[in-house]
Amino acid sequence: MTAISSLQHVHKKGLFGDYEDKDEKNLIKISEVTNLLIVQIVQHKGSNVSLRGLKVGELNLSNEALKVNFNNDTRILWNGPNNWFLISKNKELLKNIHKTFNETDFAITDLSHSRAVIELEGENTKEVLKKGCPFNFNELHKNTCINSIFNGITVTIDMIEDSPNKIRLYALRSFGESLHHSITDACLEFGYKNI
Amino acid sequence: MLHIKCPHCGLRSQNEFAYGGDGTVKRPELNKKVSDKEWDTFVYLRKSPRGKHTELWHHVSGCRQWIKVERDTVTHEIFKTAKVNEDI
Repeated sequence: MTAISSLQHVHKKGLFGDYEDKDEKNLIKISEVTNLLIVQIVQHKGSNVSLRGLKVGELNLSNEALKVNFNNDTRILWNGPNNWFLISKNKELLKNIHKTFNETDFAITDLSHSRAVIELEGENTKEVLKKGCPFNFNELHKNTCINSIFNGITVTIDMIEDSPNKIRLYALRSFGESLHHSITDACLEFGYKNI
Repeated sequence: MLHIKCPHCGLRSQNEFAYGGDGTVKRPELNKKVSDKEWDTFVYLRKSPRGKHTELWHHVSGCRQWIKVERDTVTHEIFKTAKVNEDI
């Protein structure tokens, strides 16, 4: 899975930027998340299968735009019409997914190795994202997600918490290093802690 | 900078989209005999209107869907957007 870090030579732990004379609690915390199961689920265009009966664990696939269905281990992000992005700590879920979703109706792609995942936490998280992404982050609420760009890099942004803000960014693994540089650069003025 | 209301995702910046050309052009029917002139018209001939124009845009950094956009080519005002299989 993503056990092999995509940012191991880039993500150095410590305090950076304008962190002096600031309470460490108020700094932005940046971490790399590894060891996740990441699966794309796409319903084929000709498929007439109803989504109601199909469950991953206890979670349904929802075609409601930007919505995230979630439980403790798993988050299912709406990625587009009939297109979802499943992220889970439970790697055994993949077998369940293959059993649940018929190959003739769904395309299941394991993307676990192909993403870099960066998590940001802190009050100023949205301010950081506003610097590189044209989306109106005042409209991004807890348990919603968007696909957008950050300094030209295509990213999926998942809003996990809102007090304080906790956001996960998913980018193609090959863009991970660039994205990390962009994010940390945008964090400098607030001060940040790499954990 | 334009703001385009994607019928799937909502209001987004133009940066997330790619322009896809005239949205009114229709491909000749499949397996129908087509003259060189008809094919040439379909492939190359485009109007360049001053004013309202129906266009295709691709939400390439969003939901990856093609959409229709009715835009004024002079003022860049966007009047309507629709899913690609809907009439605008």
